[in-house]
Amino acid sequence: MHLFLLGVSHHSAPVDLRERVDFSRRGVPPALAALADTPGTAEVVVLSTCNRAEIYTMCDEPDRARDVLGRFMSGFHNVPEPELASHLYAMSGAAVTRHLFRVAAGLDSLVVGEPQILGQVKEAYAVASEHGHTAASLNRLFHRAFSVGKRVRAETGLGEGAVSVSFAAIALARKIFGRLDRLRALVVGAGEMAELTATHLRAQDVRHIGVTNRTASRATALAARVQGIAVPWEAMIDELASTDIVVTATGSASWMVTRAQVAEAMRPRRDRPLFVIDIGVPRDVEPAAGDIEQVFLYNIDDLQAIVRENLARRQAQVDRAELLVEEEVDGFMRWLRSRGSVPTVVALRRRFEEIRQAELARLAPKLASMSPDARARVEEVTRLLVERLLSTPTERLKAAPDEDAAATDADTLGRLFELGLAGDSPDDDPPALGRARPRRLASSSAARNR
Amino acid sequence: MNAIPLALYVTASGAYAVHFARRGGASGRLATLALVVGALAHTFVIGMQTMQVGHIPFVGTTGAISAFVWLLALAYLYTEMTADERSMGIFLVPLMVVLQTIPALGNSVAARPPVLESRWFEIHVFSLLVAYASLALACVVSVTYVLLFKELKAKHPGVFYARLPSLQVLDAMNRRTVGVGWLFLTIGIGVGIIWAAQLQPGSVDPRVQAMSPLDPKIFIVVLCWLVYGFEIIARSRLGWGGRRAAWLSAVGFAILLLNFVPIGYFGTETHNFY
Repeated sequence: MHLFLLGVSHHSAPVDLRERVDFSRRGVPPALAALADTPGTAEVVVLSTCNRAEIYTMCDEPDRARDVLGRFMSGFHNVPEPELASHLYAMSGAAVTRHLFRVAAGLDSLVVGEPQILGQVKEAYAVASEHGHTAASLNRLFHRAFSVGKRVRAETGLGEGAVSVSFAAIALARKIFGRLDRLRALVVGAGEMAELTATHLRAQDVRHIGVTNRTASRATALAARVQGIAVPWEAMIDELASTDIVVTATGSASWMVTRAQVAEAMRPRRDRPLFVIDIGVPRDVEPAAGDIEQVFLYNIDDLQAIVRENLARRQAQVDRAELLVEEEVDGFMRWLRSRGSVPTVVALRRRFEEIRQAELARLAPKLASMSPDARARVEEVTRLLVERLLSTPTERLKAAPDEDAAATDADTLGRLFELGLAGDSPDDDPPALGRARPRRLASSSAARNR
Repeated sequence: MNAIPLALYVTASGAYAVHFARRGGASGRLATLALVVGALAHTFVIGMQTMQVGHIPFVGTTGAISAFVWLLALAYLYTEMTADERSMGIFLVPLMVVLQTIPALGNSVAARPPVLESRWFEIHVFSLLVAYASLALACVVSVTYVLLFKELKAKHPGVFYARLPSLQVLDAMNRRTVGVGWLFLTIGIGVGIIWAAQLQPGSVDPRVQAMSPLDPKIFIVVLCWLVYGFEIIARSRLGWGGRRAAWLSAVGFAILLLNFVPIGYFGTETHNFY
């Protein structure tokens, strides 16, 4: 059987199409149940996030699976097939493994290295596994994917560093203050940027958020939206003294806050730090304020520079991560091929054992005259001989360098020893789906050897 | 015998360096493990020496250094485990390696002169060694504070930004370690004064007779006591924290270290027991 994947992602489809094929709308379990009944496939996991909808499965024939699953997707989501077809991608074998490992590592994400995807992959697997839709191959594939995701994050800096201005500001605040939940913040301005940052501060459980704006009504409205308290415009400078984080985003033409005002506010604070985030364009806070002891002043350019650096650093880690993924793909494919060789190995051993038994049966009259000890010895020697003859071929079969070589080996051996294998690929004990097991060796073979 | 803990401290140093450079989990665990084993071996060495001579072997400066390194290892491991923070090992363990080289090369077990046959002696030395260990930690924490502060002020987060805990945490650690250090400094000095006052009238030991605030070793430790005392008062009365407190901690320990190594061996008329 072959690993097979059919899906759409942010690389292949626009958001409106992705929304329409989002499995979570109708629930993943019904989709899994429907897929489990699809002929020619076994084991299935559906990964559905806002950026991708993918079906992982084991199939007999990738080309057929592509048609069948494509029809399924179009039918399940009620999207006309021709419309969907051009956005679908299909993969089989090592490509599927590589794809899933890259997805789990965050290499395939819109923002490279984002952390949520690993959790989503785990969730997708858990749902499929709970409903009994996975077995040996996909179990192993997904568990390897989790560990690849973890390894990439631990061994490369792929997931490190904030990659948006507001997260960069939050990360800086954490580096200055440690915990944010006891802090007071003051948002100066009530525009879009001010609101975005205030929302982030709220999400960080900042204890108190004051909002001030030249137009009081807008301050009140924003304060209500972020569960803050409106501060009168005239009280802004007084408020500074009791604030730990100040966000200014008015974009006013003159300094909203001067160095002298910050110095004044710092006097009662002494060495308690003040973090000033000036995201206004033009700037709101006099830059010289940043020279005051324990005042950390960052403007929009400073923050963007940090974001750029973090992005560049992530990008620099991509090659390392890809190498790591490649290493893991090799490891998994080796395992899968060694599993693929199992039916051939089993059939080969059975064949040899049958020959041995047949020969022993033929010699039975002669053996009868021997002592029990000698008979046991004959039994032992013939068994060891078969073991020895098969040990190298067994190793070689399991270590096939690629799928084609493995299939060729299985074919050749099947032909030379009349193993009567069905098809050329492994059987993975599918949980539900019909697929002929390798045919038993003809029981008459022993007789033929007489 | 002191070479065994030294070897383990060297290993730990290397592992902390690798951990700091690559931030690998494995190297960090190896570093902690090497340090824990080193501290255990060191405990064993000091225990053996105690049994050998019948008193805790910190009579001479060499023995005191070994005991100091041992306490420092324990104090650092305590903070590492409570704060779950390994990034400071690289600043501290190399200092332990340098200092531990002295007892590893020399003889750390000195015979105890009769004048030191006193309970006061053990309290005096032990308090001061605990103080030194705590203040050494304060110094390291403060140096890292200043490094991180500089990166944040320069708006260029880099090496230290990615590895150190927040300024707030470092400042709090500085405050606590200085508090503990100063307390034990006070006990150690106080006990020393009372003990010397008791001994002086009847003792013929020239060292006891020379005890005075102008002896370099005594002078410097009192100076340090004043520096750290000022740091504590400035924090509570003047709101001095952060970088100012960090500098005081760093300078205070630099003076203390001077006192410990060169003056302990060559500069003192009163504390030369070796």
